[in-house]
Amino acid sequence: MNRAGFELTVALPKGRMMADSYAAFSRAGIELPRARGERDLWHSGGGLAVLELRGADVPTYVDLGIADLGVVGRDILLEAGRDLYEPVDLGFGACRLSLIRLPEAVTPVRRIASKYPRFTQSWLRSRGMVADVVKLHGNVELAVLAGLADAVVDVVQTGATLRAAGLVEVEVLARSSARLVVNKSALKLKRDVIRPLIDNLRALAT
Amino acid sequence: MIPEGTRYHLPPEAAARLDLQERWRALFASWGYDPVELPVLEVYDPEHPLAARAFKMVDKSGRVLALRAEFTTAVIRMVASEGLGEELHRFQYAGRLWLRDSEIGPGRLREFAQMGVEAVGASGPRLDAELLELAWEALKTADLPDARLEVGLPALVADLLAATELAAGPRSSLHAAIERKNIPELAELLADYGVRGGLRRAVLALPDLYGGIEVLAAARRLELGPAARDDLDWLEEVLALLPPGLEVLLDLGMARAYDYYSGIHFRAYTPDFGLPLLGGGRYDGAGTRYAAGFALGLERILEARGVPRELAAPQVLALDPGTARRLRATGVRVELAWTDDLEELRDYARRRGIARISGPEGEVSP
Repeated sequence: MNRAGFELTVALPKGRMMADSYAAFSRAGIELPRARGERDLWHSGGGLAVLELRGADVPTYVDLGIADLGVVGRDILLEAGRDLYEPVDLGFGACRLSLIRLPEAVTPVRRIASKYPRFTQSWLRSRGMVADVVKLHGNVELAVLAGLADAVVDVVQTGATLRAAGLVEVEVLARSSARLVVNKSALKLKRDVIRPLIDNLRALAT
Repeated sequence: MIPEGTRYHLPPEAAARLDLQERWRALFASWGYDPVELPVLEVYDPEHPLAARAFKMVDKSGRVLALRAEFTTAVIRMVASEGLGEELHRFQYAGRLWLRDSEIGPGRLREFAQMGVEAVGASGPRLDAELLELAWEALKTADLPDARLEVGLPALVADLLAATELAAGPRSSLHAAIERKNIPELAELLADYGVRGGLRRAVLALPDLYGGIEVLAAARRLELGPAARDDLDWLEEVLALLPPGLEVLLDLGMARAYDYYSGIHFRAYTPDFGLPLLGGGRYDGAGTRYAAGFALGLERILEARGVPRELAAPQVLALDPGTARRLRATGVRVELAWTDDLEELRDYARRRGIARISGPEGEVSP
C-alpha cells in the first residue's frame, strides 16, 4: 500500500473496539472504509485507509507515523510508553488495571504475573516496592491459581471472571478506556482534517 | 555481526551522508558558525539530561564514563569549562551519538549522527530568529522544501505552571498531560489540585493552542501573568523578524523539557514522515548564561528524503597511470585498470557502468 495517496491513515485494533471506533468516527462525520473480505488487512476508500491491527501494535504504527492516528485502550498506551498525542477519551472500552490476588493472600507481593510488565514495574517503583514481574500472554489469573505468581496485574471489566475464579481485586492501579491517539507530525501537518475530527469526537464524548 | 540499532552505511548512502554534511557545513560556515570537535567519551554524570539512556563503561581508574548521547549539553559544558560564555560565539558541530534504549524503527537507531549549531554568550529575539531561519535554510539544503518548522514556547508553559504554586510532583503530572494534549486528564488533574478560575482556563487551553499565527491572538485572550505575557512578547518579536516565505507552525502546548528550555523550542516535520527532523531552542541558564541552537538528525532526514540507489559511476577506466593523471587533471572521474586483460576490463566497465575506456593511444572501444 502507498500511504502518500491517502488523506488520512487510521490504525484500529481488531475486535470490539474496532466496531465502536467505526461508530464513533461515523457520528463525528467520517465514514471509515469497510473491509471487503475476511482477510482484508487494510481497507481504503474516499481518501482514507484503515489498518486493522492488534491493539498493542497501534501505538507503534502511530508513533512512527505509518498511521496518522488510531484508537487504542489507555491500558495499552500505559504499557507501550510511546510519545503520542492523546487528545480524546472516547469513553468506550472502559476497564481498569487492577492488582488481583487470592482472597486469603496476606504475604507481601513477591512475584507478579502480567500482560503489562512495563506498567507493573513502574507502578512497583512508584510505591517503592520490589517484586519480580513475569510476562504472560493470556489467562493471567491462572498464574495465581497455579502458583506461578502470588499476584496478577490485569484488566478487569465487570469482575465476573475474577469472581468465578475465586480471586479478588485488591486495588485499582489505573482506569482505562479507548483513546484517540495522533502522530505528532500528522496533528500539525494534517490539522485541516484532524482538528475538526478531534473537536467532533470531543463534543460526542462529553 | 554488529549490534542492533547500528548500521553499515554502504557507498550510495555513505556518499549521500557525506554530501549532505558537507553542504550543511558550508551553509553554517557562511553564517559565521565555526566548527568545534567534542570528545565521544564523557565522564558519567547523573545530572545529564540523558544519563539513564546513555551507554556507560568503566575506565582503568574505576571511573564511570558515558558515550556522548546529546550534543547541546556537551557544547555547553565545553563553553563553561573553556570560559567561552562571556561573549557571543557561534559554533557548529557534527558527529555520532549513542543511546542505549532507543526504540528501534525507521529513523530511530542506537547509533546515529547529528549536525547542528549553537550560539552562546548572548541572547535575544534576533538570535532566535537567526536560528529559525538557519534551520529553514538547512532543510532546503537537504532538499526538503515541504518541511515545516514548528515553534513552541516551553517558557510559557513553565510560567503558567509556576503560577499554580503547586509542588514539583503535581506540576510534572500537569506537564505530562499538556505534552500529550490529554485534555480529559488535564481537566481532572486541575480539579484534583484545586486550580481554578482564569489560571485553570489558561492551562486547559494550552494543548489546543496549535496551528498558524492565529494561535498568538488566542493566547493573548487568556488571563496571563506578567511572566507569561513577556514570553509571548518575545515570541512575537522573533516571528516578526523571520524572512518572507518562512511561515512557521506554532504549538504553545509544546512542553517537552519545559524546565530546560528558557524560551522557544522548535522542531521540523515533513509530510508523510512521522518523526521530527530537527530539534532546538533556547536554554539560557542550563549550564551557561546564554545558549541556543538546534541539531539536525542525519538518518531521519535521509530517511524522509530518500537515498539514491546507485552512485554515478566514474566516467573513464584508464589503462595506465599517465592517462589517468591527465584525465583527472581535467576534472574527469577516473578509475585505473588493475590488469592488462582487456576483455576482463571491458566486462568490469560494463558491470560498473563506466562508459569509456582510455589508454596512452587514445580511446579503446568499450
